[in-house]
This record gives sequence, C-alpha cells and structure tokens, in this order.
Amino acid sequence: MATKSLVKIKPKTYKVGDVVEVSLMVMHPMETGLRKDKESGKLIPAHYINDVKFSFNGTPFTTIKSWESLSTNPVYTISYKVSEAGEIKVAFTDTKGEANENGTKITPKA
Amino acid sequence: MQRRSFLKGIMMTGAAAAVVSPSLAFSAEAPKGPNAMDLDTAIKAITGGKSVSASDKVQLKAPEIAENGAVVPVSVTVDSPMSAEDHVKAIHIFATKNSNVRCADVMLTPANGTASFSTRVKLGSSQDVMALVVTSKGEFLSAAQNVKVTIGGCG
Repeated sequence: MATKSLVKIKPKTYKVGDVVEVSLMVMHPMETGLRKDKESGKLIPAHYINDVKFSFNGTPFTTIKSWESLSTNPVYTISYKVSEAGEIKVAFTDTKGEANENGTKITPKA
Repeated sequence: MQRRSFLKGIMMTGAAAAVVSPSLAFSAEAPKGPNAMDLDTAIKAITGGKSVSASDKVQLKAPEIAENGAVVPVSVTVDSPMSAEDHVKAIHIFATKNSNVRCADVMLTPANGTASFSTRVKLGSSQDVMALVVTSKGEFLSAAQNVKVTIGGCG
C-alpha cells in the first residue's frame, strides 16, 4: 500500500541561482499513540513519519526527523537554491518501516 | 444515632470522591506517550547544556489564535547567508506543552539557499511554539510565540 504523496515546487518558473520552495505533502494518519479507539476503548498505536530525506541528483541536502506532534497529512516545506537541471527526490519512512519515495524534476529557465 | 452516622458516612465519601475525581480526570486528559519528553530534556539533548539566546534573526510565524489545534501552521525563517562558513545547521520545532515536545528536527546544508522550514503541528492546548536554531558557528538561537487553541488537537 503506497502512501499518497506529492512534491511541489514554488514558483513554477525559476532560473539558475533562484531560491525555490520545495514541499512534500503526504497523506498519512500521523497517529500519536494517545488516541483511543471509540468502539473498543483501546489505544491506537502510534504511527507517524519519522524520517524525511531530500536529495538532488543523488546528493542529500536536507534531512528531517519528525515526531507524532505533526498534523495529520503533514506538509514539509524547505527552500532550495537551484544550481542546475536535475531531479529532486524525497524519501520518507514511517514508524512501521514503510518506505516511500517521490520526486520532481528541476528545469530552470534560461 | 445510626441515622446520624449514616449521613456522616455519605458526606465523607462525597467529599473524598470530589477530591479524587479531578485528579483522575486530569490524568485521563494528559496521558504520557512512549515518546514523552519535556522541554528542558529536549533542549539539553541538542545544546549539551550550553546557553540559548533569543534572537531577532529567527522569525517564527504561527497564528495567535488557532481554532483547531489539530492543524496549526508554523513557519520558521532564519536570517543567514547560508554560505559554507556561516550557515544554519538545524532548525528544531517544539510545542512546549505537548506530551512529546519535539515536532521536527530539520538538518540543513548550504545547498538550501535560505534557512526556512514550514509545517503544520498538532497542539494539545494553548501553549508556546518554540524554534531552536543551531548555526555552524555553534550558536544556539531561539524564538517563541504563544498560540491560543480553542479546540485541542491531541484528543
């Protein structure tokens, strides 16, 4: 079961040397482990994204460790300075060990 | 005589219940998760006991009043040249009254261009949201803002 995710770049057009916003949005429950199931009354075990890695052409440039305090369907937005055409890849793992990867292409306008 | 002692007994148990029940209700409201960590411990783990100074360079944006604590947008921007010698190494975001105060630890490199990070956090109650920034020079800078929550997010 792949987790739905999206990698977005803002603004849409940029040149080499511009700083753009790269955001990762994930459809994820981000369970805290403190919430109770309404029917059975048992605690729902914690299940959240704990590791996010941004890399450009294979070179990692940002790593994020996150905890259960992030909202459901979290968003991670960082900035990135465009150096050349290539591909940004984002790999993220949750506490159940499910690894996912998503990416987007960087195509600077001359 | 019997009737009197009976009434006394009822009053006593009633008083006892009144004393016990608020504490029970409180413990049910604030359970501790397996990752529970308080602010001092979390900051010490990062700084190693060094002092943290509040700084204008760190700008933390969060709403003053959040209607829904489950989704509170928080963004942090740090005024830094982000060169190889002088850049921001990490941005840590804390929700100071959540059972686990840690929200996100972001490790940055000069390739980021500017030091910024934004996300959405869950807040259990009205509290301060804090950003702790670690620079490559070994400085620890911080900024905080109070957020009032009308509906808690950790329920």
